[in-house]
Formats: sequence, structure tokens, C-alpha cells
Amino acid sequence: MRFATPLILAAASVTTPAIADPSGEITVYTSQPQEQMALVVEAFNKDYPDVEVEIFRTGTTELMSKLQAEFAAGSTPADILLIADAVAMTQLKNDDRLLAYEDAPVEGIPEDVIDPNMTFFGTKLITTGIVYNTGMVETAPTSWDDLRAADVAGSLIMPSPLYSGAAVIHVGTMVQQPEFGWGFYEELAENGAVAGQGNGTVIEAVARGEKAYGIIIEYMAMNAKADGSPVDFVWPDQGVSAITQPVAIVNGTDNEEAAKAFVDWQLSQAAQEQSVGQGYFPILSDMSAPEGYPALDSLNILPLDADQLMADDQANKEQFAELFGG
Amino acid sequence: MPTSLWLTIRPIKSSSLNFSAADTRRDITGRGGVHLIVALLAVCVLLTGAWPLIRLFALSIAPGEEGQILGLMRDTLSGRGFQRAFWNTLSASVGSVLVSTVIGVALAFATGLSRIPGRTLISFLALSPLLIPSQIMALAWIELMGSGSPVLSVIGLAPAPGSRNPLYSGAGVAWLMGLEHMPLVFIAVRASLSSIPADLIEAARIAGSPPGRITRRIVLPLVLPAIGAGAVLAFAAAIGNFGVPALLGIPGRFSVLTTLIYQRLNGFGPDVIGSVAAIALVLVFLAAIALLLRQIILRGFAVPLPSGACFSGFDMGRGKWAIMALLWLGLIWLSVLPIIALVTTALIPALGVPFGLDTASLKNFTEIMANPALGRAFVNSFSLAGIAAMVSAAISILLGWLAFTAGNRAARLLSWLADAAFVVPGTVLALAMILVYLRPLPVIGISVYGTAAILLIAYLGRFLPMALRPVEATIAASDPTLDEAARVAGIGITRRIVFVAAPALAPTAMAGAMLIFMTAINELTLSALLWSAGQETIGVQIFSMQYEGNSTGAAALSVMSLALVGLLVIVTDRLGRRLPPGTLPWRAG
Repeated sequence: MRFATPLILAAASVTTPAIADPSGEITVYTSQPQEQMALVVEAFNKDYPDVEVEIFRTGTTELMSKLQAEFAAGSTPADILLIADAVAMTQLKNDDRLLAYEDAPVEGIPEDVIDPNMTFFGTKLITTGIVYNTGMVETAPTSWDDLRAADVAGSLIMPSPLYSGAAVIHVGTMVQQPEFGWGFYEELAENGAVAGQGNGTVIEAVARGEKAYGIIIEYMAMNAKADGSPVDFVWPDQGVSAITQPVAIVNGTDNEEAAKAFVDWQLSQAAQEQSVGQGYFPILSDMSAPEGYPALDSLNILPLDADQLMADDQANKEQFAELFGG
Repeated sequence: MPTSLWLTIRPIKSSSLNFSAADTRRDITGRGGVHLIVALLAVCVLLTGAWPLIRLFALSIAPGEEGQILGLMRDTLSGRGFQRAFWNTLSASVGSVLVSTVIGVALAFATGLSRIPGRTLISFLALSPLLIPSQIMALAWIELMGSGSPVLSVIGLAPAPGSRNPLYSGAGVAWLMGLEHMPLVFIAVRASLSSIPADLIEAARIAGSPPGRITRRIVLPLVLPAIGAGAVLAFAAAIGNFGVPALLGIPGRFSVLTTLIYQRLNGFGPDVIGSVAAIALVLVFLAAIALLLRQIILRGFAVPLPSGACFSGFDMGRGKWAIMALLWLGLIWLSVLPIIALVTTALIPALGVPFGLDTASLKNFTEIMANPALGRAFVNSFSLAGIAAMVSAAISILLGWLAFTAGNRAARLLSWLADAAFVVPGTVLALAMILVYLRPLPVIGISVYGTAAILLIAYLGRFLPMALRPVEATIAASDPTLDEAARVAGIGITRRIVFVAAPALAPTAMAGAMLIFMTAINELTLSALLWSAGQETIGVQIFSMQYEGNSTGAAALSVMSLALVGLLVIVTDRLGRRLPPGTLPWRAG
């Protein structure tokens, strides 16, 4: 890779002679699956060949812990964060860890997924719904309330907010709704539902047939279905929770130019097309959802009071751990 | 006859050891060379484990905001979650030790006492749990025991679809940890068996004792300390095990102390480092008890045996076919079937697709080949594991000799301290490393964080005892007269280490190095927290893929990793034929 750079550099200088392209190395901390990120880097390097991108990938919750530890000790190697949810980003912003990028190319992106201080920007939409094993389930569930039944909850697995950023938002959203609240989770726990780690453990258990039902982010279930796993996914008509996978630049990055280029690229049409191909709802309102997905505006997205969620974050995790262990 | 032998051997051993320790200590005081070596070893042991851990534990007892000194610890230890995890840890560990001991001793006796064909292969299979990272072993067993089991469904024993996998329970955790740590008992017993002199058994046979009685009355008493030492080691390992309870215990709502620490760190971040360190202290306390017990067993009961031709096993006559049938049935169940389950998972295109000739594909393997990070992971893991193994072997000989042959008090303390990084859960050691090594090092101003160096430091701290303990056990059980003779002849410390101790201890140290390599190559817990972009290891990659729900890819990567390690084992084995017996664990005698 390193040895190839001069060649690419030479090739690039022929095509775009005048502009000083960003170069050097940036490190991206992300919660997106690594195979996807390998393709993202490949596509990014087509536009920015001189920037070398290093990936550090783990679950959002764990990633935040690592960041906190690094901040506590003085510095982090991260230049870019691309993590599941806006709440985690807001926490970082409030701690003054994010760089404000005033001139970010946000045209066509809905205002409600952009931080008003321009420190982070939603890159895609990820919804959470219900996956089920098609070999084991005859009547597909259509609503969250269908999960309450003892024979369903007894074979239900969900991701834990102690690992997954999407689960933090999902549990936080559900308990804010008067029709669900903690009572919903108490009923699930009483009837035998279990929590795994991240969303990965959910698709494992359901695809293997160890559990018939799971609560999961949509693309993991839809991608498994596309690969041939005996699973299908429903967006419950009572509403789904959604996260925006925001991208942000770390305050104090030593390669601001390349970091900004990465953000630019994430918000570009090319990146959006790639994420649609990887099974995500696009953030640009004029693009259509991946094949087999409902139109985004046909979905009922449950309201979320983000400030309230941030205040309750710790308590939610403890309450969840109390019900489901860990 | 056996009893009298036992009695005649013991007094010689204890008196000579005491004489040697006391006398050598007097001899070396005032020699600058030893102080320098000890100082270097101290730097090594302290920086790779003890110092970061002390920093971390200091956090757990540091005064709180309102000055309530042990408030944090009291709160943590009185919490319901802690109590539950504590008793779960104890019960699962004790259960796992039973599994480890029964299977480990049975396999060691079967391969060490009977002259049956294919002993090397059998020994190798018995050690295979060491080669398989615990999360993959758990995965393989989940496949094997689950409702979709390709093996159990053939004989109609698979659980009904949708029913809970029986492994997701305390018993499942104990069973799998027991299997995983079984080689610790096996190695200890096998090494001890292979040091039994042939003369001893021959004498008993001439006196008319049948093999069964010789086994009960002579062999068993001689290897009992090794069984005890192995069992206690398995207990300490079970207390600190993370991979198995993480995969089986978390979905089974069976939390143990290590998973509790991991979950709290992951869920609540470094704010809870203090309370997590308090939990870690409890783990250290449990492990300290175990290791103290081990010390008592080794010091109090180990029997130094005269050197000479070693006993190579009874000729079982026709009985060997029955033994072999039983052995192979057991080994196929314990180590072959899970690997078959793993390979079939690697060959299916997606989870839940039944394995068959029409569905099998190499898609998972080609996807892995296309990912540049995975090639790098192999290079990183192989170099880290190799360096850690060689350095640990060298340190073990030096430290072991200084501590137990020369009786240097500082070296003994270091040898004891070296366990700290081995017995705390990897997650805690990793956090301690971050705490100490994130900022640039004083004086030289270079930060090791974000480089492979921090992984190496952690690996060295973590794995040193795997070479050090066997070396110490060899010293404890060996005849000290050679060193005494050299000392009396006026030969200096350095030359005694290089020319007397090192050759004698090298086989054991090399065996330890091999163990370290095999364990480190698939290390997960430390790497998971300490890896940085560009420094990924195989364990981390397998874990991430599985975490992402891509366990077909994770299985494929594991199969590749196992194949490479297997290849390496074969090469080592070929080269190792010229080494003394016992150098390679599966070639013990």
C-alpha cells in the first residue's frame, strides 16, 4: 500500500494538476462492519488517492469507552468518528471533543440529522425492527406488541445497549413511548426474552434457528436474507427507532484537511450510493431506499427526546442490565 | 515397596534444597552481576504487568470525592450483580476443574502409561484446545449442540428447533472451560509421568506387581503433585477465562466476574474503572489463593527422581485395542467433531443454510483473501506471538534460576509478581496498559500506544508465567547437585546459568515458549482493547467478524488460522525430533 502511493500520486497529478490534494494518514474510529469499511476506503481513495485511511472498528459503546480512556490519558489517534448514534456524538460535542466544520457540504441533507454547531452530520438512516426465522415462524409478527406473547418472547433475542449504539437509541426510544415504557421490557424479560451482545449476536441466533425472533437493525437482517439465510425482516407498523450514523472530526486532529475530505466524501452522492448498496437508507432525501426496503417516508419513525435520553443514558443501561443480566 | 521408596526419596530432596538455597544465597551476595540481571528482570516484570496493575488498583482504593476511602469497593462488592457473578465464578471454575482433571488425567495416563500406537497424534489432539481460541471453540460447540446441529440431528439427539442451546448455562460454561483448560492438567501429568524412571517400574514388575497395582501404588503417588498443580492452574485459568463465559454465559444470563468487568467497562466507560478494579482485586485474590496452594503442593510434595532411562509405558497386550477405541471415541467427540462443525460453518454461504455438497462454497475464504487487513493480521499475530514466546523463554530460565536455584529474594518476589499479569482478566490488564502507556514515555518521549509495542508489552506480561512456571517446576523437581558442584568448583554465576542451568532448563523453557506461541497467536482479550488501526491481530479479526454477525467469515478465518498453526506444529515437530523428550508437549516420552 505504502509503496504504491508514489505511483498513484503520479497518476493523480496528471489528471488534477492544479489542486493540492489532501494527503497523509487519517484514522477512522467506526462501528460499521469492517468488510463494508474496506469498500468505503477503496471508494474514498478513488477520489482522494493520497490519503491513507486506517480503520479501527468496534461496537459504539465499546468505542466510546476506548475514546474516554484515551481522552483521560491525554490524546487519541482518532481523526474521524463514524459511529451509530447522535447521542454519543452529542456527549462528545459537549465535552468539546469535536471540531466544528462550518463549510461542510450539507446540501440536500435534512436539517434534523445535522448538528446545529456543525460538529457532526448524519450519513445514513438505520432503523430497528423485527427479524424472524422463516423456517420456524408461520405467521410473521407485524407489531412490537406481537412480541409480548409468551411463546414469542420466550424465543426472542435482542441486542444490549451495553454493547450496541443502535440498541442504546432503540431502548431509549421505546421506553420514552407511553404505550411501551419499561413495562414492555419487563414483560419481555418475564416471558423469557434474552439479550445478546451487539446486533451480530441477534442475527446469529435467529439465522441458526436458536431463536425464532430478534430485535435488530434492518440491514443486518436484510443482508443475511440476501445471502440466503432463512430470515425475514419486518418494520413494525407501530413505528421504528432510527439512528443516523453521524460522521465527525475529532478536535485536535493532526490532519484536518484529509479529515474534512473524508467528511465531504461521506456526504457525497457516491458515498450515498455505496451505502444504499450496502443496505442502508440514504440520508439524501431525493434518493430511493435499497431494493426490497419500504420507502422511508412510508415508515413511522418513533419520536425521540434526545436530551432526555442523554440524561437517562446511564439509568437506562442499568435498568436494562437489571432486567436482562450483565 | 512404593511407600518405602517415597520415604527414602523425600528427605534427600528437602535437605538438599534447603542447603542449596541458603548456601547459594550467601555465595551471591555482593556480586554486582547478579544485581544487574535482577534489576533488568525487575524492569521487565514491572513494566509488563505489575506497575500498570498497581496503578489500576490504586484507583480502586483511592479516596472518593468526599474522602470515603473504601466506599467504592464496599459498594461494588455488596452489589447484587457482583455477588451473583462471584458465586457463578466459583461454581463454574470448580466444575471446570473437575472436567479438566478427569479428562486430562485420563488422557495423560492412557497415553503415558500404555504403549499404544499413534500416541503422538493422540497427545496432539489432547492439546488441541490450546490451539483453538476460546471464542471459536465456543462457537464450534454451539454448532455442535444447537438445534441445527449437523452431527446430532443425524443420530436424532439434536434439541428441537427454537429450544435453548443447553450450552447457554452455568454447566455449559463449566464444561467448555474445563475442556479448554484440560491441556494444563494433561501437560503437567504427562511431564511428570515421563520423568518416572524405568528402573522403578521394572523393580516393581520384578517383584510381581501387575500394571494396575503399579499405577495405583507407585505412579499415582508420584504424579499426584502434578495432578494437583495442574488442577490448581486450571482453576486459576478458569477464574480468569473470558472467551467462554462471554459467548455462553452472556446469552445464558450466567455472568461471571470477567464478563461483569467487560460488560461494565463497555457499557459505562472509564468512569467505572475504579469499581471494575475492585472486582479485579477479588479475582486476583482468588487466583493468589490458587497459586499459593500450587506452591504448597509443589514445594511440599514434589519428588525429585533420579535421572536415567524413563518409563515408556506398559505393553497392554490385547487390552490396548479397548483403550484405543475408548480414547479415539472420546477424542473424536471432544476435538474432532467441533472442528468439523467449524469447517462446515466456514463452507456455508450464510448462517442457517444447511451444509451440503450443493450449498458448500469457498465464498467466505475468497472474501477473506480479498481483505488486506486480514493478511496484515496474520503477520502481526505471528510476529507478536513469536517474539513474546522467545523472550519469555529466556526470561524464564534467568528468573527461575535466580529465584529458585540461587535463592535470590528479589528474584523470588519478581517471579511471584509475574503472576499478577497472568491472573487478572485480560481486559483489566489491557486497561492498565492504556492507563500507563498512552502518554509518551518519560525521557525518550515516544508513545508506545497505537504501535505494536504495547501489544508486545502486554503479551510479555500476560504469558511469561506459562514458561516460567514449568521452568520453576523443573527446577523444584530436579537434582540441585550439578549446580552445587559447579559452585563448589568456583564457577561464576553467569557461566553456571549459561552452561549448567540453561541446557538443563532449555527443553522445558522451549515447551513453554511453544505453549505461549500457540496461545498468543489467537489471543483476543488483550488485543481487543489494545489493537489500533494497522495493528490488528487474528483474534481481533475473528472476534469482530463474529460480533458483526458474520460468523461464517469468522469460521473461515479460524480454519485458516488453525491450518497455519497446524502447519507450524508439524514443522516444529520435525525439527523437534532431535530435541530431548519433553521439549514438545505432545512428544513427552
